[in-house]
Amino acid sequence: MSAHAGTIDHHHDHTTTTGIPNKKLFMWAFLASDCMFFAALISTHVIYRLHPTPDSPDVTKIFSIELTSFSTFILLMSSLLMALAVGASQKGKVEATRKMILGTIFFGLIFLGCQVYEFTHFVHLGLTLSSSMFGATFYTLTGTHGVHVAIGVVWLVLTYIRTFKPANAGKAWVVRAVVQFTAFAVATVAMMVVMLAVTHAGAENGYDLSALVHGIEHSAAASIVLAVSCAVLVGLSRSSWAVDFGEANAIDVEGMGLYWHFVDIVWIIIFTVVYLLEYL
Amino acid sequence: MSSAASVPHSAHVQEHAHADSGKFHLFVQIAMLLGIITGVEIVIIYLPLAKWLIVTSLSVLSLVKFLYVIFYFMHLKFDKLFCTILFFIGLVLASGTAAALLAIFSAKDSIPETAKVIYAERAAAAATAQ
Repeated sequence: MSAHAGTIDHHHDHTTTTGIPNKKLFMWAFLASDCMFFAALISTHVIYRLHPTPDSPDVTKIFSIELTSFSTFILLMSSLLMALAVGASQKGKVEATRKMILGTIFFGLIFLGCQVYEFTHFVHLGLTLSSSMFGATFYTLTGTHGVHVAIGVVWLVLTYIRTFKPANAGKAWVVRAVVQFTAFAVATVAMMVVMLAVTHAGAENGYDLSALVHGIEHSAAASIVLAVSCAVLVGLSRSSWAVDFGEANAIDVEGMGLYWHFVDIVWIIIFTVVYLLEYL
Repeated sequence: MSSAASVPHSAHVQEHAHADSGKFHLFVQIAMLLGIITGVEIVIIYLPLAKWLIVTSLSVLSLVKFLYVIFYFMHLKFDKLFCTILFFIGLVLASGTAAALLAIFSAKDSIPETAKVIYAERAAAAATAQ
């Protein structure tokens, strides 16, 4: 392990009294405070599960352990890609950093898509924020975590766009960045609409190729918007100029990585406490 | 002169490349291990074992996943000790708060009298409806 330590420790900032960059120190302090925030939410949920109110539903009939397990696996794999992105940025490999960040964004969006589908499904089954104490604590806890994931995805997208900043950046780059961010936002919403349409078609007629075709047909406008925005993103992902992004920016990627991994560890606890323990 | 200087340089580059490759493999192995542990967790809940044993197993497995992520993916193992101390201050306070809340609300006296009446009324209404 000591061999690896040498490859990471040289990024410590020796200009601070702790030898740790201020950005990193801030992030660790923030994550420590966020631990307490989630502890309060998790405790509230557990207390009401240990003392359930009469209106509590039979959650094992509502939960889909397959879907939750899948989204847990996806989030764990996104953590791997994030760790690789941090490693690539520390070596100044811009292209590899971009690819890993894009992969993390993609996995993060899949997780969010699963959560959107899960919430939609639960609401159809009658479980809402105000239907029972279980609904209130469940949506507050998992929704807060989902918001953290969404913030993480936006942060990742902004960092991805930042990697394209030219060494001699002018106003044109700002316009390009705004277009790129808008294309990301539009593509995300369009992808969610298409995925929900495909999933609903699959739930009604079985998950096969026809479900995919039916889903895309039902969301034709969203599919076209998705295709156009993806084409714009591919077009904007090509850069032949020297970029103002390298090893010096590794600390920014590392800070973002710490946040992303924290979201992952919170989900590790939520998955066990909120989902798995219900099956006992 | 230049050839003499390039020998240690290429050795340094090779050493770096080796360390990078080692770290990549380490991260991939940890990710696979985390995936396997998640699979084991899902299987455990369906096993006909004592409830306390399942709860303990799930807690231990979650803790292992948690520690692997913070010490390897979040680099705490390779970073200065101060980062670990800082994060664990928050973690200990959070765990303490959770434990205190669970202990307080486990006490019967902590349930408000009005809530007891409401719960009893709801339970009676639910029983009548059935």
